[in-house]
Amino acid sequence: MTFVQKTYLHYQLLALTGEVDLHNSPQVRKQLLAIVGSGNSVIVDFSELSYIDSSGIATLVEAYNLAKNKQLSLTIVGARGAPLQVMELTHLNKVFPMIETLDEIKG
Amino acid sequence: MSMKRILHVEHSACTSQLCQIRDKVREACHSLAYSESDINLITLVIDEACTNIIRYAYNGNPGRIVLEIYKDENEAIFQLQDFAKCIDNSCLELRKTNLLEPGGLGLQLIYKVMDFVQLLPPKGSVGNILELKKHLPKGSQE
Repeated sequence: MTFVQKTYLHYQLLALTGEVDLHNSPQVRKQLLAIVGSGNSVIVDFSELSYIDSSGIATLVEAYNLAKNKQLSLTIVGARGAPLQVMELTHLNKVFPMIETLDEIKG
Repeated sequence: MSMKRILHVEHSACTSQLCQIRDKVREACHSLAYSESDINLITLVIDEACTNIIRYAYNGNPGRIVLEIYKDENEAIFQLQDFAKCIDNSCLELRKTNLLEPGGLGLQLIYKVMDFVQLLPPKGSVGNILELKKHLPKGSQE
């Protein structure tokens, strides 16, 4: 798993690549909480993410709750395949704002 | 028809091994003719079960995980064995209802995906065997 952080409009975009599991989700957690903790709304890009387990999902939930408390947002873009199935299975696709492409942010 | 063993692997109970375990589960599920969607979900819950063994059974201490997959007449049987302190069935009870609260998500996923979940008595004096069953896809049953 690798991730890249960049600025997109007034958001911080965190693009995840590969597989997120218990082995590497602490790295994602640290990065995500740092972004939200410093007062930025965040877009998590799932486009190149092939797998995420419950520890990764728990990280997203923690960051989402923190963002909500700070009146910021956490949006997921480009989820498909196994990660999308996990979001649907947990019904978290109804909790998180989820978009297919970044163009929807502009719109 | 007797059970046919599809896979037997043994890994150290270490998070760095999860990726390899997932690869082997995916390969085995392909051989059982599950759909890509089912393969994704089965792989996820086996990973979740291994994660729970690493986190809670071994509590981060060194140990081993044995994964065996069998094919029966109508279902695939996934057995995960550890050699940690024995647990009881209360550990398999779902307690959490709010997904936005931490903890217990892995177990929820296991129940949602699998058709049958149970703890078997350990083969020796220590350890646990978690047995998960999933119906085989129609058309692949013998």
